[in-house]
Amino acid sequence: MSFLAPLFLFGALAIAGPIIFHLVRRTTRERTVFSSLMFLRPSPPRLNKRSRFENILLLLLRCLALALVAFAFARPFVQEAVIAEGDPGLANRIVVLVDVSASMRRDGLWAAARERATATLREARAGDRVALVAFGRQMNVLMDFDEWVALPVGDRAGQAAGRLSAIEPGWESTQLATALMRAAEMLDDTGEEQVPGRRRIVLISDQQEGARMEALPSFEWPRGVELVLDPVRSRGVTNASLQLLTDAADVERPGEPVVRIRVTNDVTSTQELFRVGWMRPGPTGFAGQPLEIYVPPGQSRVVPVPVPAETDGISRISLTGDDEDFDNHLFVIPPETKRLSVLYLGADTAQDSTKPRFFLQRALPDTPRLAVDVVASPPAQPLPPEAARAASLLFVTDPLPATRVAELRALAVAGSTIVVVAGSPESAPTLAGLLGLDSLAMDEVRPARYAMLAEIDFRHPLFSPFADPRYSDFTKIHFWRHRRVDAGAIPDARVVAGFDSGDPAVLDVPVGRGRIVLFTSSWAPVDSQLVVSSKFVPLLYSLLELSGGAGLPPLQHFVGDPLPVTGSEGDYVVRRPDGTTDGIAAGTVNYANTLQPGVYQIQSGASTLRYAVNLDPAETRLTPLMSDDFERLGAPLMQTAIEAARVEERQVVLRGMETEARQKLWRWFIIATLLVLLVESALAGWTARRTTSPEGITP
Amino acid sequence: MPAAAPSLPAARLIAPEVLMAIRNLELRARAVVEGFWSGIHRSPYHGFSVEFTEYRQYTPGDDPRYVDWRVYARSDRYCIKKFEDETNLRCHVIADQSKSMNYGSAGHTKAEYAATLAATLAYFLHRQGDAVGLMTFEEQVRDFLPARHRASHLRQLMHTLERPSAGKGTDLIAPLDRITTLVRKRGLLVLISDFLAPLDRLERSLLGLTACGHEVTVFQIQDPAEINLGFDQPAMFQDAESDRTLYIDPRAARDEYMRQFEEHAASLRTVCQKLGASHHRLSTDQPLELALFDFLQSRMRRGRQTRTMARAANPAAS
Repeated sequence: MSFLAPLFLFGALAIAGPIIFHLVRRTTRERTVFSSLMFLRPSPPRLNKRSRFENILLLLLRCLALALVAFAFARPFVQEAVIAEGDPGLANRIVVLVDVSASMRRDGLWAAARERATATLREARAGDRVALVAFGRQMNVLMDFDEWVALPVGDRAGQAAGRLSAIEPGWESTQLATALMRAAEMLDDTGEEQVPGRRRIVLISDQQEGARMEALPSFEWPRGVELVLDPVRSRGVTNASLQLLTDAADVERPGEPVVRIRVTNDVTSTQELFRVGWMRPGPTGFAGQPLEIYVPPGQSRVVPVPVPAETDGISRISLTGDDEDFDNHLFVIPPETKRLSVLYLGADTAQDSTKPRFFLQRALPDTPRLAVDVVASPPAQPLPPEAARAASLLFVTDPLPATRVAELRALAVAGSTIVVVAGSPESAPTLAGLLGLDSLAMDEVRPARYAMLAEIDFRHPLFSPFADPRYSDFTKIHFWRHRRVDAGAIPDARVVAGFDSGDPAVLDVPVGRGRIVLFTSSWAPVDSQLVVSSKFVPLLYSLLELSGGAGLPPLQHFVGDPLPVTGSEGDYVVRRPDGTTDGIAAGTVNYANTLQPGVYQIQSGASTLRYAVNLDPAETRLTPLMSDDFERLGAPLMQTAIEAARVEERQVVLRGMETEARQKLWRWFIIATLLVLLVESALAGWTARRTTSPEGITP
Repeated sequence: MPAAAPSLPAARLIAPEVLMAIRNLELRARAVVEGFWSGIHRSPYHGFSVEFTEYRQYTPGDDPRYVDWRVYARSDRYCIKKFEDETNLRCHVIADQSKSMNYGSAGHTKAEYAATLAATLAYFLHRQGDAVGLMTFEEQVRDFLPARHRASHLRQLMHTLERPSAGKGTDLIAPLDRITTLVRKRGLLVLISDFLAPLDRLERSLLGLTACGHEVTVFQIQDPAEINLGFDQPAMFQDAESDRTLYIDPRAARDEYMRQFEEHAASLRTVCQKLGASHHRLSTDQPLELALFDFLQSRMRRGRQTRTMARAANPAAS
C-alpha cells in the first residue's frame, strides 16, 4: 500500500496522547471543596507510577481511531502495475550527429566533439542501433544502422570512432535544421523493421547561432524521437570575422575602386584592434599597408578596403589580431563588366529629344558590372553584321524595308528579342512581316483625353518586377496616342498590357526561339509620358533580361555553392584553391565540388572563369544556442538525468493521485474511524456508569 | 474578673465532636460555660466589670464621690478616678460566616465551631452581667445586634448565630470599618474568623478599632485539614468561595502549602501583637473550654498590663 500524503502518517503519533492520558492519574472527576486555594499552586500532571493501564480496551479504541484518521488523511492507495514506456532495457535507435562545419575548426572543438561522439558510441548497448552522421552543409553518413548491426558488437564503437577520426571539419556552413530533419527521418524510416525502444538524436555540435535553424519550427517531428544536446563549447577567445558586402555598386566609383567589408567582433572577445588588408599570394604578408580597425566586442563595422592598383594574383583580404583564423579570410575577385549590345533600327538621331532613341540611350548607362552599347542603324541601311550577331535585343521604331524585315525575322527565329515600337500605323507592314503575316490592320487612336494602362499581366517577365502593389500603379502614365492592333489576328500573341479602352498596349509574340514584343505606343513624348515615369528604366532592363542578356552572376559564392559553368562547349578543368585540379565533362552546367574557400579557376580552352568562394557569413555567428532556443524551435529535447528523474517522480505522483482518486480508500478508513468512535463512546459511557462517585473530601 | 490564675483539668473538657452533637447552640454554650465554671477553683461571681482607666486632676464641678481619698492621703492632691464606663463591659462578638467557614474535616465546620465559641463567650459574659452584642459578616455585614444585657437579647443573639449563612467571600475590612461606626463606646471586640483572606488592609482596620479604644481579641479558627493539608490523593480542589478549581497533588503541594499557611498565621499574629490585640489560634478539634480559658487569661493579663501602664503613666496616683 502506498500513500499520497505520507506526511499525515505522522499524525498517528497522536496516539501518544491517549496513552499519556491513560497513564496520567488525574482524577478530574473527583472534586474536593477546600476552604481556600490561596496557599495552593496547581500541580503538574503526574504519571501513574503503576505500570499498568486502566481501561485498556478504551485506550486501544482511541489509538485505533487516531491511527485510522491519520491513515485516511495520508490518502492510501494500492499500487497498480504500470507498464513503463520506453523501457531502457529495450533496444534504442540512436543517430549521432557530429558537426563538421567550419566553426568546428576552432581550437579544441573538434577534439572535444570527437571525444563526446566516441563516448556516446561506447555507451551504446549491444541491442542498440546506431548511425554516425557528420554534417555541415551536406550530410555525410559515416555509418548507418545496417552497418552498425552487421559489425561485431565489440567492434562497433571502435570502427565508428575510427571513421570519425578520419575526417576533419571542413569549411561548410551549418545546416543544422536539415541535418536534424534528415536524422529524424532516418529514425522514422518505416520501411525498416520497427525496433521497440527509444529513438534518439545525439547532437554533438558547437550549436552556433548561424546554424540555419529557420526550417525547424515547421518540421513535424516523428513521435517518440528525442533530441539530446551534447554541446561542445569553445573557450572564450577573441574572434573577429570578415564579410563581403555585395551591394557595392554605388560605392565603386570609377577611379576609386573599393571593396566594402563588414568586420564583426565576437561578444566574448577581449581584443578590439584588428588589421585588415589585401594579402600577397602565399602564406603571409599584407600587400601594402593594412587598415587598423577598432571594433568593440559584440559590434561590427563596415570598412571600405581600397583595391590596390596592382591586383595581379591578389584576391584575398585577411584580418589579423584575433585568435581564431578560420573566418579571417575573404576572397574577392573584382567583378568584370559585362558588355551587351542593343541594336536600334530607327531613323531618328541620338540628339532628337522627341524621338525614342534619345531616351533609350540615356536610360541604359554603363554600370560597373554591365555596359550596354546602343548601336543605331538607319532602316534603309543593311544591318551591321557584328552588332546584329552580338545583339540579343533589337528595337524597331520605324517602318523597315522588306529585306530588313526578313533578316530580323531570321534573327528572331534564331533567338533574338525584337521590340517593335509602333510609332505610327505605317509600322503595320513591318510588324506583319516580322510576325510572318501577310497583313496586319493598325489604326491610329487618339483618345479624347488620354489612355492609360489598365490590364497588365504581372506574371509576364516584362512586368513581373512591378508585381508588388507598391510598384504596380501605372495609372499615372498617360498615353496621348496609340495604335490599335487586333490581337486576335496575331497567332500566339499574348496581351501583356492593355489600355483602359481595351486595346492592347504591349503584345508578346513568340517567334521561333526568340520573340517579338510590340509596343502599340512609343515612349516618345508625343505619344506618352512613359519616359518621365519611374517605370521606364526598369521596363527596359526587363526587356534586356527577357532577351537573356542582362542576367548577372552572383557577386560572391559560398562554400558548397555550385559555380556556373558557361561559355564553352568543351571539357573543363577546374583549378581549386589548394592547387589540385578537377575535370568536368562537357555540357555540365555547374561545378559543385566547392568544399574550401578560395579562388576557383575553370578553364575551357582559352577562356578562364574565376570564382571567389568564401565562407558562409552565417558560419561566423558563433554565439552558442541554448537548449531553450531548441525548445522554442519545437525540438523534442530529451531531459537531462535530473530533469528526467524529476519528471519521472512527477509522473509517479500523478499516477498515484489518479489511482487514489479511483480507489478512494480513505472513505473506508473514515467509516472505520466512525465505527470505532461509536464503539468507544458506548464503552466509555458504560464504563462511566459503572464507575463509583468521585472520591474526595467534601465539607 | 477573677484575679487568680485558674487551671483547667483536661479530663473535664468536652471534646468538640461531642459538643457539636448538641443541636441547640445555647445549650452548647451553657455546657461549655457551666463546665468551665465548675472546673476553675475560684468563683468568678465576685468580679465585676467596671474598668479603671486613669486618674486626673480634680477640677471644681467634678463629682466629689469620685475623688480617690487614698491618693489624697498619700499625695495631698485631689484626683478623680476615671473608669472606662460607668456601666458593665460592652462586648461585641464579630463572627465570620463566609463560605470558607463552612469547611470542616472533623465532622463539624469551622462555622459551627465559631458559632459555638461566639455563643460561649456571649453566654459567659452575659452571665457576668456584661452587655454582649453580635455582628456577623461575610463579604459585608450581615447581622448586627448592639450590646445589651438582657435575657431575651441573648436568645436573639443565639438565634442569629444559628442562622445558616448564604454569603460567599470573606471581606475582613468592611465589617471592621462598619463596626467602627456602629460602636461608639469603647468595649471589647471579639473577632472570630478563619482569616483566609489577604491581610494587607487588616492592620489598618484593626488600628482603627484600637485607636477608638476598643480592646480587640482575635480568634483564628482553623480546621485540622487546613493546618497540614490532610489529603492523600490528587484531586481537583475547588475553592469554597470563588469556586475556582485547581488540580492539586497534596503530596507534592503539602510542604509549600504549610509554609505559606504558617506564614499567613504568623503575619496575623504579628499584626495583632503590633496593635495590642490578643490573638488565639484555634483548631476545630480543640475543646472550646480551652478557648474560653485562653480568653480569660488574656483578659487578666491585659487588666494587669493596663494597670501597670496607668501607674507608669501617672506615678503620683500610685
